[in-house]
Parts: sequence; structure tokens; C-alpha cells
Amino acid sequence: MKRLISGMRLGVCALAAAVAMQAAAELPSNIRVVIGSKSTGGDTYQSSSIVAEALSEKLGVNFKVDATGAPAAFKAVERSRSSDGSTIMVFHDQAYLGVLYGQKGYDDPFANYSIGPTFAINPGNAYLVSKKSPYSSVEQIIDAAGNGETVRVAIQPGGVSEIGYSALKNAVKLKYPGKEGNLTPVNTGSQDSKNQAMFDGLADVINGSVQSNEQYTRLPADDQKAMSFVWLTAREQTIAQANEDGMGKTTRADLLKFVAPNVQVPMAEGQDFTFDKEFFFLYNKDIDPAFVEAIDKALGEIYAEGKIQEMQKKSFFIPNFKPAAEARTYLKEKNDRIADVINAIKG
Amino acid sequence: MDFISLLSPEYFLLAAAGSLVGIIFGAIPGMTATMAVAVCLPLTYSLGLHEGLALLLGLYVGGISGGLVPAILLNIPGTPSSITTTFDGHPMAQRGEAERALKICIVSSLVGGLFSAVILFLFAPLLSDFAIKFSYVEKFLIIFFALTVIASLSSNMLVGIFSGMIGVFLSLIGTYDVGVGGNGEYRLMADFMVPYLEEGFSLLPVLIGLFGLATIFLEAERGAKDEVGEKRIQLTQGTPFKLNVFRGQFVNMLRSSSIGTFVGMLPGIGGSAASVLAYSQQKNFSKDPSKMGKGAPEGLIASESANNALTGGALIPLLSLGIPGDSTTAVLIGAFTLQGLQVGPLFIGENLDTWYSMMIGLVFANLVMFGIMFFAIKHIAKVVMVPKYVLYPIIIMMCVVGAYAINYGIMFDVWTLLIFGLFGYVAQKIGLEIAPLVIGFILGSSAEVYFVKSLESFGTLSIFFTKSPIAIVLWLMIAASVLFSVYLALKARRNSKSRAIEV
Repeated sequence: MKRLISGMRLGVCALAAAVAMQAAAELPSNIRVVIGSKSTGGDTYQSSSIVAEALSEKLGVNFKVDATGAPAAFKAVERSRSSDGSTIMVFHDQAYLGVLYGQKGYDDPFANYSIGPTFAINPGNAYLVSKKSPYSSVEQIIDAAGNGETVRVAIQPGGVSEIGYSALKNAVKLKYPGKEGNLTPVNTGSQDSKNQAMFDGLADVINGSVQSNEQYTRLPADDQKAMSFVWLTAREQTIAQANEDGMGKTTRADLLKFVAPNVQVPMAEGQDFTFDKEFFFLYNKDIDPAFVEAIDKALGEIYAEGKIQEMQKKSFFIPNFKPAAEARTYLKEKNDRIADVINAIKG
Repeated sequence: MDFISLLSPEYFLLAAAGSLVGIIFGAIPGMTATMAVAVCLPLTYSLGLHEGLALLLGLYVGGISGGLVPAILLNIPGTPSSITTTFDGHPMAQRGEAERALKICIVSSLVGGLFSAVILFLFAPLLSDFAIKFSYVEKFLIIFFALTVIASLSSNMLVGIFSGMIGVFLSLIGTYDVGVGGNGEYRLMADFMVPYLEEGFSLLPVLIGLFGLATIFLEAERGAKDEVGEKRIQLTQGTPFKLNVFRGQFVNMLRSSSIGTFVGMLPGIGGSAASVLAYSQQKNFSKDPSKMGKGAPEGLIASESANNALTGGALIPLLSLGIPGDSTTAVLIGAFTLQGLQVGPLFIGENLDTWYSMMIGLVFANLVMFGIMFFAIKHIAKVVMVPKYVLYPIIIMMCVVGAYAINYGIMFDVWTLLIFGLFGYVAQKIGLEIAPLVIGFILGSSAEVYFVKSLESFGTLSIFFTKSPIAIVLWLMIAASVLFSVYLALKARRNSKSRAIEV
């Protein structure tokens, strides 16, 4: 009987492998996933690795993530203009924000590339102040700028890090027209430079993330490094999907105190600005629709199984699968909404 | 003591395997510790955190150490931080002391690595509080201090400074990256160069081109005929290795290890600055500085103890601030994030088991590195006996493969290697000095960023003198270093004049 059962098991495994092989027959055996970040310690690499691992398992194809950085990644996808999808890209909203902010090395992703499915959100984009700061809320920051105080915000210009700053500036303009110039950017680079700008007293507010800065928020107030969150740009429903434990020792309930509507950054009359950092695939323009469909289908099944969600949430990502066509429409709308905010402060 | 249960045989096996693979990566020109860690990072998924970290720490220590092998045997720095090892290591190899040079370096590497591990273990949170006192101004001054080595490395100071300036200019080509606080604009290039030079010249292909390829071209010009008979390098030709070579070098080792640890713990300074600083300080304090650069063991001790001390140093900000101290620890942070573990100012206190197991992994990896390298050295050193007409084509092939792989398959990096190989050949023909040029290239872009950011932040040049007591101390050290180099240059000129009169 035991032999029979193990024989049946082997048979089922062989059948499953054969089915997987058949599905994989239309795909290249190796798929290179270039990402828009050079860091293997950052959220892009982490989220890409999770989804690449799941796709490898599902399709029996080897997905290899390479942290090439944005310009090289765009070029790699462009260079391999074959339709088979042997080189594909993963990036986040920076792909179009780079264009909106006029960054060098960015092409309009909606016009020049094919937008693939979304698969995760990093809900951690945050703004922080020192625990010794006179400001303890976004409202105070907006009012201070409106009343003539210069408020310096440390950001990395030209993308995700800047978008919250642009929204804050827009909020100052809405409440105190003509005073938005009092909110000034301090252009830094990596997270450590932003933190350092605060330690050196060069910035009053810094852009950061829940993942990088949470431990700093638990330091005692007399520590030079101690910080407090004042705003998380994510939507309330996004944070609400995080694990109850939140991040570190800051629970989901604690995090919810820093998102709209508890923290209000007005974007227009009766509308608050929110921003989720969403990860998605990018393919070259000539991609075979069958490839797009195969990835959509595989991801659909992976998300239906529900295992990947646990893994993503464990790493403080919010599962966010939208098939390619839906993702394109959704991201284009998001692009247009953000373009309005950027244009408003330009004018 | 729960962490002891985490230390399985697999844990030690992985740390040892990591060291071995790391040494191989470091020893192949064009492959680096960072690459070794990046390649093996996905493995940590299936290994689990502690075993994964053991593997990565082994790779890190092995990769940094392995760089000394090609630096000595081939005059090619295996990793950027072993650049100063070439200065004395290769001359020693050429006079038949390759094995001795390698053994000196390995012992120094072990001392540097263990020293920094002890400092990391005892003082990490304290030192991270000190590290954040270094703002843009102090970081610029440290790089400026490292740049003063150009003065002491040059055989002709004016030509050396000129060569260093060329290096700085070359490092500035490309985008002024927003990732370091720049404005994202292209600089110092014509429009048609943008597709190739958007991100500037990659460091390692430039380094290997200028050092390795240029030397090979020069040798090729000379031909292989002088290799036969008695002129061929013999392994036992020079002074054999004895431990007494370290007599009188305690202060050098201590100072260099401290410099390595200190530079490692300052994010954004870059590992190469550590060995450059340690080397220049040893030259300043040496009883006979004229011997350095011509095969002096003290130069090797300074360079290698400093660059291995980087390992522990760079882990200080990683584990006590959540900020990687160098490019390799920036990859290492991926192992934590892939496991969903947060690093930051409370990491050590909240993850004592991980902290202890990392410390044991670090020390063990250093010991394994020493064991493997010290006893394999006899065989490794035989590379110098391979005829050059066989060796050089293999090296060129390895360099090309390494250059292509360094940024995940960019062909322009191979061209960079070849262009800088030719440039290095021509530069030596017309009398430019390669070492200052390379140091200018390595440190130039960081110097620019911190200089510009200092001015942007404080708005006045006087801030460089008035920012803090640390800045004043750094200025004093810069002044002492420059004055001492000028004194040495004048003394050397006087000596050569008097020798000429005697003749």
C-alpha cells in the first residue's frame, strides 16, 4: 500500500512537472529581471526577489534579478527588443515620476514601454521631524511655512522622495497662497544623508521610511538621533492591510495615526493627498501579448494561492496584484493626478 | 547564551566556504568582495538568517583579503582597497620575494580584521554616535587628507599633483547623481557620449586598465626575451619570510588598523581611502620613507591591516545606525531585509543572538581566511613563475570578463578597461604618474560631493575652518602631511644632488 501511495505521489509530481514544462515552453528558460535600483538592500530588490522566486516556482523558469539601476535597466529592456520577454524590468512609481520631474535618463514609460502587472506596495514612505523639533505635526509645519518661517525638508530630488514634499508645498499654497516658497528642499541623496542633515541641524523635516526610521522613533528624546513620524503618505486602506504588528515595535494602529484622514495634506478642496509606492513590471514595446498574458495568468494563480501575500506582509509590503491592462490604466491615472500637483506648485 | 544553539556545523562550514569563495573572487582581477556577496545574496533566502550571514561575512572577509594576491603578483589591485598593496608588493615579487610579501599581507590582514572585530564588538554604539558628528565638511576634509598622499607618492611633486588632478577630472565625468545629492545634470562630456558615459567611468575597469593592462602593454613592448635564464623570477631569490619582519611595526599595525576601522565606520568615504590614508601616514612616520614604494614590508603592513580593518568598521554604522559603511555592507543589508529584519539604532539590543552569531562569524571567517591563504600561499605564489607570454593573455581575458560582469553586463566597461590600459601606457611614456592619477580618480567624486554639499549647506568657504574642533584637528593633520611630504621631497633632491657631486 505504501509503495502504491508513493508511486501515485511520483506520478502526480511528474504530471505537475510536465504541465509546468508545457506552460513554460512558450517562455524563455532564463528571464533576466533588471530593476530600477542599484541597491540589493532596498525595497525594489526585496519585492522583486519575492515575486521572481514565486514566478520561478510557478513557471519552472529561472528568473534572475539584477540590480542595475534605472538608466541601465531601461537600456537593457530597450536593447533586448525581442518579443520573448527574456529581459524585463521591475520598478516603482519613480519610472514616471522621473519624467514628471524632468530627470535625465528617464523615458515616458507609458509611451515607450509596455506596462506590466503591479504586484506590491511599499507603504512606508514617511516624513519625520526630530524629537526636539518645534513641530510635531504636518499641520504645524504647514502653518509655520504659511506664517513666514522657513521650513527645510531633506529629500532626494526627482522622484518618490520629492512627491510628498511637492504635496506639502501645494498644501501651503492652498492655505497660504504665495507662502509656499517658505518650504524649501534640502537636496540630499541616500537615507543616511537625510538622517545626517537632521542630526546636523540642516533640515527640519526629512523624508524617510517606516522600515529605515522606525527604530529612530523609539529612541529617548534626549538622544540626538531621536525622531518622530509626522506623516505617512500611504492611503489609510493600504496601511490597514499591513500585519497587526506593524513594523518593529510600532503597531499597525500606531502607523494609522500618521495617514489621512488623521494627517491632512490638502490637495484640492475636500481632497487629501496620498501616495502609495507601487511596484510593477515593465516590458519592451514589442513584447509578445502571449508573454504578457502568461505572466498575468501566473501571477493571478500565485495570488489566488495566497502564500506570496504572507511573505510580502512579513517584509512589510502590501500585496497589490493588478493584471497588465488594469495596471496601465490605473498607473496612467495616478501619473496624471500627480502631474497636477507638480504643475500646481510650478505655476 | 541562546545564540550558541544557532551555531551549527553548517554555520561554520558556510563561513569557511564563504571565505574560500571570497578569496577566489578577490584574487581574480575584476571580481570584488561586493560582487561575491551580491552573487550569493539570493542563497540566503533558503539558508536562513544566521547561516546566510555566516556565508556572506565569509565572502566579505575573503573578498577583501583575496585582493592582495593579484596586487602583489600581477600589480593589479584585486579590489580597489588593495591599490596601495601594489606599491610595495609588486616590487617585492619582482625581486623574488612574492611569498614573503604575501605572508606579510596575510598576517597584517588577520590583525586588521580581528582588531576591527574587537572594536566593533566593544564600541559599536559608542562609535556610531561619534560617526554622526562627521558632516559634509568633516567628510570632505578626510578625503582631502587622503588626497595629500599624492604629494608623498609622487617622484616629482608637480607632475604628481597634475596627474592627481587629471584623475579627479576623469572621476567627475557623467551625471552629477541625485542619489548623492547632485542635480542630475550631465557634466564634462559631449552629447554623443551620453549613452556610454551617463554614469561615468566604472571604477574597477579604470583601475585594472591603468595598473594591469598598462603594465602588460609595457612588458609586451619590451618582449619576453629577458625572462629566460637567470633573470627569470625565482621564488626563493630574495629574503625569506620571518616573523621578525613585524618587529618595530606594532605602532604601524595599530595605527593602520585604527584608520581602517575609523574610515570604515564613516558612510560614504569609501574603502580605498582607508588603505591610502594608512599608507601615507606610515610614509610620514617611517624611519626611512625613501624605501616605501620600492618594496618595503611596512607599506604592505599599513595597506593590508587597514583594508581588512574596514570589514569590522563598515559593520559599525550598519548594525548600530542601519546605514551601510561601504559598498559591500550595502549589499549585506539585503540579507537582513530579505529576512524581514530591521537594522537600526536598536538592532543590537533587540537582536542579541544575531549580533553574537555575527561576531563569531566575523572572527571565524578571519581565522579561516588566514588558514587558507597562509598555507596555500606557496602554490599561489608560483603564478609569478608562469611565463609572461602565457600569463598575460589569461590575465587580459580574466580582466575583460570581470569588467563585463561588474555592472551586470555593460560592454562599455570592457572598452573602459582597454581605453584606460592604453591611456596608462601612453601616460607612463609621457611621464605622468599613475598612482596619483588613480588616487585622484578614486577619491575625486566623493571630494566633489562633500565640498559642494558643504557650501550648499553652510553658504561660506570659512565653514571648512570653523565647523567644529574635529575640522580643526583634520586641518592640522592635513598641514602636517603636506609639510612632511615637501620636507621629504627637498631632502631627496638634496641627497641626489650631493650624490651627483660625489660621482
